[in-house]
Amino acid sequence: MINGDAIQTAFVADFLRYSLALLALLMIATSVAEDYEFRQFERLLTMPLARWQYIAAQALVIACLCMLLTLPAALLISLYGNAAIGLYWGSALWLELFLLGILGLLAILSLEKIPQAVIFSLAIYLLAKFSNLISLMLTESVKFSDGSVASRVIEFIFGAILYVIPGSKAFAENDVFFAHYDLIAMLGSQIASVSIYALFLLAVCLIDFYRKEFNL
Amino acid sequence: MRRGERPMLLLPRPLLLGFLLLFAFQLLHHHAGRAQMAASYQALDKPLSAGVYNGLALGSEQLLGYLLTIRLQLHDNQAGQHFRYSLIDYDVLLDWLELVSTMNPGGEYATLLASRIYSQTGDADRLRQILAFIERRFDENPQLHWRRLAEASLLAKHKLHDLERALQMAEKIARQPASVQMPQWARDFRFLLLAELNEFESAIAIIQALLQSKAVADPDEKRFLEEKLTDFQQKLLDSQQKAIN
Repeated sequence: MINGDAIQTAFVADFLRYSLALLALLMIATSVAEDYEFRQFERLLTMPLARWQYIAAQALVIACLCMLLTLPAALLISLYGNAAIGLYWGSALWLELFLLGILGLLAILSLEKIPQAVIFSLAIYLLAKFSNLISLMLTESVKFSDGSVASRVIEFIFGAILYVIPGSKAFAENDVFFAHYDLIAMLGSQIASVSIYALFLLAVCLIDFYRKEFNL
Repeated sequence: MRRGERPMLLLPRPLLLGFLLLFAFQLLHHHAGRAQMAASYQALDKPLSAGVYNGLALGSEQLLGYLLTIRLQLHDNQAGQHFRYSLIDYDVLLDWLELVSTMNPGGEYATLLASRIYSQTGDADRLRQILAFIERRFDENPQLHWRRLAEASLLAKHKLHDLERALQMAEKIARQPASVQMPQWARDFRFLLLAELNEFESAIAIIQALLQSKAVADPDEKRFLEEKLTDFQQKLLDSQQKAIN
């Protein structure tokens, strides 16, 4: 009944997930913050480059960085578990880190300071992770408070916030270590969620970046 | 120093259009995902007959009964998702609770789940079903299930706001013979609820009978009954004076 191997693999996988998420976020925030600090934007804008090209380049850098970070994790999980699970975890983790990276890019472009950007990105990340639990707690609190207006308003506001944060399907599923799931279907669903949300975030990045005025 | 920002309307039109399109896409995707999550809830299967499970238990009926109850308790947690109790079909749930009670007649687990977990539903009809289940278990074994019926009586009073139903269950507890051992407070529910229903005369009669019968030996309990007797007599007097005025 106690599946020690699965618990161990799942623990290692989650440890790697959160460590790499923090590392990726710090690396992305630092790199863009340096662009602000050394006035790289002003220099870039004197070149024949559109602003969207800078964002596209950053997205590619984030994709490559996430790939570099997830490859060892996928290999390690393959050694702990099996190749299929390792491949799934590597791909799902890449998608999760990429999404977090884009979120970090938006945060650093808007807030321009590393601590604020990292805290904001982590807050959104954790909020998205706990969204199901918070949503359930709020629904139950409406029942316990006999449907009080305050509880309903809070539930409504949180329901609205959920529309603009990533859904639970955008993250790697740790349950795969304990039971048999259709890994391809899970990955497909995650790809759809991450693609839509990442494109949405990139659009917000572009809006924010195009609005900024740099003193040339 | 805060960086200057251009007004939104000065941004390239395709960019604004693309943003609005992607925003709408994200909203639609989230909305569709929520509907899909509700649809992905695996409903509780109807249980087979108790005979089948007893046969499968190979002589360990009680153990299988416990395992089935644990499985039932974990039903709202599927693939890492917590589902709302409102999604559970209470008719099927009660079939399972009846089944595990049959397999494990000496156990309290099923009635405990009913009174503490599944009673948290906001639906009055479902709560009534749960209360009826607890009452049936109490009828079978009052000694084992008097606590659950006392809880059920409180649920009827505070969650259903149905004092008549609460009183009905409290009377059932109070009428148990002395051979059914339970603390006096469980039997006291009856007169407390009678007083809430403004049936002060009946409540006073019950307390007086209790005090005269010498069934109550504990001095604290006796003092509590005497205080309640005085309180109810005063309230009865007040209500009678109000009626005269």
